[in-house]
Amino acid sequence: MSGPRSIAITGVGTFLGDALAHRLLSAKEPVRLVGIDARRPYRLEGRIRFHKVDFTDPTADSRLAEILQRESIEAVVHAAFRQAPTSDIEYDHELETLGSLHVMNACAAAKVRRLVVSSSTMLYGPRPDNPNFLTEAHPLRGHKDAHCVQNRVEVESLLDAWRIKHPDTEVTVLRPCWIMGPSVSDAVVRYFARPVVPTLMGYDPLLQFVHEEDCLHAFETAVTCGRPGVFNVVGPGVAPLSTLLRLAGKTILPLPPAVLYRLRYYPSQAQSGDAPAGFYDYLRYLWVADGERGWEAFGEPVYTTREAWISFVSSRRMKRYR
Amino acid sequence: MPDQRDESEPEEEFDSDLSGALDNALEELRREIRDRFPAAAQPVRDVDWFALFDELRQRLNTFGMVERSGEVDEFGMDEVVLRRSRPLLDFMQDQYWRIDVSGLASLPTKGPCLLVSNRSGMLPYDGLMISHAVSRWQGHGARPRFLVADWLITLPFVQPYLAQLGGVRACRENAERILRRAGWVVAFPEGVKGAAKVYRDRYRLQRFGRGGVVRVAIEAGAPLVPVAVVGAEEVHPVLFKIETLARSIGLPFVPVTPTFPLLGPMGLLPLPSKWRIRFGEPIPVHTLGPDAAQDELLISRLTEELRERIQSMLNQALRARESVWS
Repeated sequence: MSGPRSIAITGVGTFLGDALAHRLLSAKEPVRLVGIDARRPYRLEGRIRFHKVDFTDPTADSRLAEILQRESIEAVVHAAFRQAPTSDIEYDHELETLGSLHVMNACAAAKVRRLVVSSSTMLYGPRPDNPNFLTEAHPLRGHKDAHCVQNRVEVESLLDAWRIKHPDTEVTVLRPCWIMGPSVSDAVVRYFARPVVPTLMGYDPLLQFVHEEDCLHAFETAVTCGRPGVFNVVGPGVAPLSTLLRLAGKTILPLPPAVLYRLRYYPSQAQSGDAPAGFYDYLRYLWVADGERGWEAFGEPVYTTREAWISFVSSRRMKRYR
Repeated sequence: MPDQRDESEPEEEFDSDLSGALDNALEELRREIRDRFPAAAQPVRDVDWFALFDELRQRLNTFGMVERSGEVDEFGMDEVVLRRSRPLLDFMQDQYWRIDVSGLASLPTKGPCLLVSNRSGMLPYDGLMISHAVSRWQGHGARPRFLVADWLITLPFVQPYLAQLGGVRACRENAERILRRAGWVVAFPEGVKGAAKVYRDRYRLQRFGRGGVVRVAIEAGAPLVPVAVVGAEEVHPVLFKIETLARSIGLPFVPVTPTFPLLGPMGLLPLPSKWRIRFGEPIPVHTLGPDAAQDELLISRLTEELRERIQSMLNQALRARESVWS
């Protein structure tokens, strides 16, 4: 089966959508790209066909279906998710969960051949009783204080039901772990970019990263070559949080969890609308995923966890001394 | 390069009178400079606070890196930490607990292996010492990883060190993963029931879970090696347990030993009992084939056989010893 000639990317203004669009545009076989977002992506002006759709609109599904049909779209990449949770929990829920439902329904109506949905290994949830390596079959337990994670858990369960009803569409779910690299910018990167990094005293979990290039390669392969199924997209190797921070020359500020959670309560409410545990529990317990299935499907990643981290740190350093 | 340093030492002695002359010349030079430039005579009063702060910050940040490596294996074991703690572990094995290890020759020489032992006490000294004894005997082979109960491996402050020394959370997925890569695992199927034994129940094996150990070994094609550790159950003789208080701080129970809550953290020091570690003949469950893992009756029979073997090895070792300390 030849690759799709026309691809739509929802959430083309997010890091993933934008970088994937650039990557697909510079690919050997040029494809017709359609971008869908609530805001116009100025970096891609004139290079893709853009449609403005607000996913929180109740009629977004029929409008989306109309666009997909008119542009005769063969594959859809759904990346319209928050890069950082906002304090507007209601809106985030409408955008992520209901928005994904709209995308699924529109894909069904337009008989799209392939659907690639971006997810995250954060959905497994940080738990003390996690095994060291979580496989794709592990239940998605999320975290009760991270509303965006909970939204995406809901999206995956909706998608599971949808997939059974629409067996003609190839569905790929990619679960990258925290993405590191020179150009990515989200809530996680903002935390690690600080010169003084607060950590939880007494906890030093093993973390894992994937480099943005490897992550984008997986998305590109999934949408052009087709790899139906669920895959963790992670870099090989793990590293303890404290080692990573020391490698980066950060000043570590270890605080007892109770103190940190109290100190960060109001700032965190204002920033992400969640209790601090929604983020800091990911630096407390283990949630490392097993990437073997993904490596088999998309090839060995170029960057290990450590190399992805070093790439991120060195790019930040360059930016600071520019 | 210790050899080179040894050679350079006599030279330093030879140069001692030369360096005295050099010191005199330098002192003269300083005096001359002070005479010619009056400003140089002023003591330096300005402290470059920024440089000082930066220096301190850098020292602080590299402080912890000296004693650990930048890369760990997939379960968080750190070679540098292990190398640095080797003298301590050797001391504990040879001088402190005077561990008498026997039966190492019957261990398989290659492939995965599942060592099964009796659990003794709250802290994983037994797992650490079994793993250390095997790795010492093997030389540079892969170190056996010891499984640690959930509540201990997630305990703050303890968790990072346990992972660095080779501890792995006790769960089926982790054991399978290590065995699949031909690694060695030390398991304690008694679980918390074993750790919670009071002093009068010592060396009486509890139920072995639900046969998970045997099932994992059959599926991974690893022989089961029974291991009996005698002496480790006396390092923290638990007189009785407090369970009501423990719930509120997240521990399964709070043990009361002759020293523990009484002497505070000092009470956590293990007593220097004499240890004996016996490795039994491997049970070749790997020859049964993976289908045998579905046979529940076979699994419970094998589990019971394993338990009896360890119990009889324990009884034998207990009869042979004269006292806890020798």
